[in-house]
Amino acid sequence: MVNEKELQDAVKKTVEKKDVKYVVGYEKGTYGFQAKPSFAYEPKDAEKFIFSPLCVHNLAVFPMLEEKPPLRKGEEPDTRKIGVVVKGCDSRAIVQIIQEKGLDRDKVVIIGIPCSGVVDPKKIEAKFPGQIKNVDVKDDGDKFAITIDGKTTKVAKDELMPDKCKTCQYPTPVLYDILIGKEIKSSKKEDYKAVKAFEKKSMKEKWEYWEKQFEKCIRCYACRNACPLCYCKECMVDQLDPQWVRRSVDVSENTAWNLLRAFHLAGRCIGCGQCERVCPMGIPLMELNKKLEKDILELYDYISGIDAEAKPLLAMFKPDDPEEFIL
Amino acid sequence: MDKLILSKDNLPKFIDELIKKNTVFAPVNNNDIVIFSQIKKANEANFDFLNSQYPPKALIFNQTETIFKFKPGPKGDIEPIKIDEKKIIFGIRPCDAKSMAILDYAFSGEFKDPYFLTKRNTSVLIGLSCMQPGVNCFCTSFDDSPASSKYVDILLTDIGDKYYVEVISDKGKQIIKGENKFFKPAKESDEKSKKEAEKKAINTIKRTQKTEKIVEKLDKIFENKFWKEVADRCIGCGVCTYLCPTCHCFDIQDESTLTKGARIRVWDTCMNPEYTLQASGYNPRPARANRVKNRVYHKYNYYPKNYNVIACVGCGRCIDLCPVNIDIIDVVTRAGEVKP
Repeated sequence: MVNEKELQDAVKKTVEKKDVKYVVGYEKGTYGFQAKPSFAYEPKDAEKFIFSPLCVHNLAVFPMLEEKPPLRKGEEPDTRKIGVVVKGCDSRAIVQIIQEKGLDRDKVVIIGIPCSGVVDPKKIEAKFPGQIKNVDVKDDGDKFAITIDGKTTKVAKDELMPDKCKTCQYPTPVLYDILIGKEIKSSKKEDYKAVKAFEKKSMKEKWEYWEKQFEKCIRCYACRNACPLCYCKECMVDQLDPQWVRRSVDVSENTAWNLLRAFHLAGRCIGCGQCERVCPMGIPLMELNKKLEKDILELYDYISGIDAEAKPLLAMFKPDDPEEFIL
Repeated sequence: MDKLILSKDNLPKFIDELIKKNTVFAPVNNNDIVIFSQIKKANEANFDFLNSQYPPKALIFNQTETIFKFKPGPKGDIEPIKIDEKKIIFGIRPCDAKSMAILDYAFSGEFKDPYFLTKRNTSVLIGLSCMQPGVNCFCTSFDDSPASSKYVDILLTDIGDKYYVEVISDKGKQIIKGENKFFKPAKESDEKSKKEAEKKAINTIKRTQKTEKIVEKLDKIFENKFWKEVADRCIGCGVCTYLCPTCHCFDIQDESTLTKGARIRVWDTCMNPEYTLQASGYNPRPARANRVKNRVYHKYNYYPKNYNVIACVGCGRCIDLCPVNIDIIDVVTRAGEVKP
């Protein structure tokens, strides 16, 4: 369990520095099982910071969402650092972005928190429906301790965690400036069981499955905006000339969008699962991401977002790279 | 208003009869979520639902609407579109039905919108009272009720072993007229049961939004830093607006191949950086804070000024599904407390 006082102190110290613009962390949400991203511009703002299994967001997205309005005459650009509170998975996004030169290492202050799993909001809301008051959820070994109206219930983590946490191999941030609490080691393995099972289906079955899923897509682009690795200045779906994907919302264009999104993240997706978490229509986007992750691991023995010094997969070439799929 | 009773056994029979003569839409399951879809048989519908994932406004104000078709080339052959046949929307919640009445103002002003209005005027709304409102439901904050019959043509309320049926409009009467074999006149005790069920449902709604004098209050805090604080965490996706039953902004595009084309209109969202981006490159709403503020002002300031109604029905979808917990109940309530 994370000592919140230790976290708040670290945030205070960070934001006190003149060269730090703000630190983004978490605070209590407005109801039930919600936590929300929180911004500390001043040391006192850090007092509302929390960390619990309800902190499901990947805050690495915020440095990428920084808005740079045009400067007025004589105005200097704001080049201060941004502090980000990260879990293991979130830190991999920052590493991947640094690798891609989307972010300078010295422009972020990474406050790492070892994490042994967050809750899946949908699962916990289904198990404890109708919660309006903030519910206290704590990490308790292999269980979550959920306190509602003074009564604590312990539930096995496996029951309430998203799949990404069940196979997480990087519970401790892979890159950080400050680490809150002790390192956690993981003995979990990703065996791609679900992907392998799906691969065995016929083309027709696969197509029917995804057609039904993509039919639901309303193209709100929450999957893109919640993704820290989707940081193109202009997303190809927003381009009008040429228009790669039409604005019409139908199964054909929706399929184009969803497949393009997945492919643009090939070798880059770090598996934080934000796209799937935020999808209002319940499209299981991680199934696409996991398939690509598995193929890339098998073909190139490559895992994204581990080493900030390494080159991104698509910027490398090795003479013995497999090429049997090249026509 | 006619007050009738429909037995639970007769509900599917009634729907099947309606399907024979009409295009019927109802809440249908699609992999864990419920969406209003066309049904061919009564048993395809699922009435054991809180509300549909996205609002049934999409059946009247389609996300993608073809305005006309054309053949590219110097002649510019234009083929007009026959606007959809009439629909029965079966099982619409009272809040979503109210949203249609709110949208009427936007689409029937000086320039009447034939696409929306034709579908709106020919469609029949058969409502289903909401007996178990969700965590973020707050229709009662606008003096409405989860069992309100105000905005539907017919309202069904589950009163235990049967449905209490209120037939409100002439369109509703026409529907019942053909199918009166399924209905019995309601007794006074049935009306009492409905009122009790309604009261019970109202009592389960715990969250309230404070909207007293909100129009005037918002007028005074347009430039307040409060909006930046609200918008800091916004990631700029379209969840809140696309799932909103009263949002109605759209974009118009020509989509064509070498041989055929169509002018379409699609939902737009004020969360999109391209929204209000002008050809000159100037954007009056350049930052997310401007855009988040626009969503709130449109609903709680501009709309009430123009049409004397708040453009929010309290369905709670934007709260349930916001990826970063931007909570309209909290935002508006706090906005009312901000010192100008």
